Amino acid sequence: MPIKNIVYAQREHGGDLRSLDDYLAAGGYKGLEATLGMSPDDALYQFHRSGLRGRGGAGFPMGRKAGFLPKDSAKPSYVVCNADESEPGTFKDREIMELNPFQLIEGVTIAGFAVGAARGYIYIRGEYEHQARILDEALAAARADGRLGGDIMGSGFEYDITLSRGAGAYICGEETGLLESLEGKRGQPRLKPPFPAVGGLYQSPTLINNVETLSALPPIMTHGADWYAEMGTEKSPGTKIFSVSGHVLKPGNYEIVLGDTTLRELLYDICGGFREGQDFKACWVGGSSVPVLGAEHLDTPLDYESLQEAGTFLGSAGCIVMDTSGCIVRSSLRLAHFYRHESCGKCTPCREGTMWMEKVLQRIVDGGGRMEDLDLLDAMFGRISGRVLCALADGAVAPVQSAVELFRDDFVRAIEKGAPEPEPMMEAPVG
Amino acid sequence: MTADEIRAHIDPMRHEFAESRSLVLPALKFAQTEKGHLDRDDLAAVADAVGLTSAYVESVASFYDRLYLKPTGKRIVSVCVTLSCLLRGSDELLRRIEEREGLPHGVGTTDDGELTVQEAQCLGYCDRAPCVQVDVDETMGPLSADDVERLLDDLRAGDRPERLWR
Ligand SMILES: Cc1cc2nc3c(=O)[nH]c(=O)nc-3n(C[C@H](O)[C@H](O)[C@H](O)COP(=O)(O)O)c2cc1C
Ligand code: SF4
Ligand code: FES
Repeated sequence: MPIKNIVYAQREHGGDLRSLDDYLAAGGYKGLEATLGMSPDDALYQFHRSGLRGRGGAGFPMGRKAGFLPKDSAKPSYVVCNADESEPGTFKDREIMELNPFQLIEGVTIAGFAVGAARGYIYIRGEYEHQARILDEALAAARADGRLGGDIMGSGFEYDITLSRGAGAYICGEETGLLESLEGKRGQPRLKPPFPAVGGLYQSPTLINNVETLSALPPIMTHGADWYAEMGTEKSPGTKIFSVSGHVLKPGNYEIVLGDTTLRELLYDICGGFREGQDFKACWVGGSSVPVLGAEHLDTPLDYESLQEAGTFLGSAGCIVMDTSGCIVRSSLRLAHFYRHESCGKCTPCREGTMWMEKVLQRIVDGGGRMEDLDLLDAMFGRISGRVLCALADGAVAPVQSAVELFRDDFVRAIEKGAPEPEPMMEAPVG
Repeated sequence: MTADEIRAHIDPMRHEFAESRSLVLPALKFAQTEKGHLDRDDLAAVADAVGLTSAYVESVASFYDRLYLKPTGKRIVSVCVTLSCLLRGSDELLRRIEEREGLPHGVGTTDDGELTVQEAQCLGYCDRAPCVQVDVDETMGPLSADDVERLLDDLRAGDRPERLWR
């Protein structure tokens, strides 16, 4: 289970590839050079062949999505990079943009060439102003060096990238909410279809991908799709960055080959395990919007299909870990609070459901819970899912519903005695 | 802020967007840098500069957490309370702020009007939990309750930034 440095490439280069010279010295822009030497269709075929899946949460095959864009559209096409990164527990895109910004810019350029885009956009969350400034500088450096703008690297390809800043809203990470925001509207998700590939930004064909997905394109185009596809499993090719946080001793971003490492190896060998006297209790492995796992799942290999078999999702791989000092009831309440705050309010089941979920859990934590509250929660889960416009609602239900099922005893105890007071604050992370 | 000042800020980006409405967020964010929040006149100036109605601009502005329609302190301190930060003690930070500043649950604008403290949802620095962001400066962490106390002192003593990006 060695750590890889393919997308998280800066780890091999002193931790920082922020200057264009350093990036070039590390082999940067070879992928774009190779791409510009082939036809757009051949480039699309390479994406497809690599098996690369979307790293923003849904895991949809990237090449297939790029292939959905109509080739004969009268309107211009666009590439939009989703850099809204607001899924709790996820902080990989931040470090890519901060430490290896040119790899993302190169990736957005490669994607733009393959789908014949008129322009690329990077939509970055408003809270990442520090990273936005780094990207602004990197974009200017790429432009000055003929790697963006007219006649890129002497190929005749004309393309530029605009950096757009958000202003604080988790829902703008949902792809159609993002498009609304980019169009200058409230960031509320759209009814699909039309899908973005056909009617996206300004109703034009639009390819939307996550930062990590697009940053995987330069190495794929440099070393070849087969090189990438050979890593990982058949259904989960390549590498994935796991953002690990919570009670482990060494939180951080770790890029691993999919299927190669178990959850136990990630938490104990790579992340240093737990404090003296504590051990693993629970983990939201794919960000906060997925079902929680307990100790019985520690030997699950980290790939899309194995995690699904274990009853959860790989999601954004924002792996939040709790040790035996934590309280699952308080944690569930905090997540319910998050989703209630971030629900955009457009669909009644989501707006009302997230509000009630928080209220009932708050009552339990405060010591006023009743046994019927568990049935009440159960009934609520059923009424929220499936009747809404976007996946936020399912993401709100999944962690809470699974916690009530898997850790029912903890909820019963909290109803009988109130939720335990939190343990004293954990000392600063080491390493 | 005046519509002309806003125009001077957004005009260089106009060619990057097929529809000028896309300029409303950059315009709002810039207009806010003057006072730290947006009042009726600012919304009207943004509407004028982008070519929209004030009512539309207000409805957009009200959607986003980091656009403020009410006066705020000189600096805004955002304390992340989401799960990874909860697990590493974010509530202790808020408790200390509550104690020290007399703000209920640790959030609100201080009596002297200098600081606004707010709860933030995951700031994307979970590896440095518990973490805190001042305006849109780089997020800091991990912080202890004592660190936060020092931070509030420093911010109080510090100058008001020329432009309030938040
Ligand atoms: C509520 C919600 C929030 C989301 N937030 C993000 C996000 O911050 N970043 C991201 O890349 N995808 C996010 N997604 C997923 C996007 O809708 C979309 O699937 C993704 O950007 C596609 O890119 P990919 O195929 O490269 O993963 C979110 C989805 C939902 C439902
Ligand atoms: S499901 Fe929730 S977040 Fe998604 S569109 Fe409906 S109300 Fe908004
Ligand atoms: S939970 Fe606080 S930064 Fe992610």
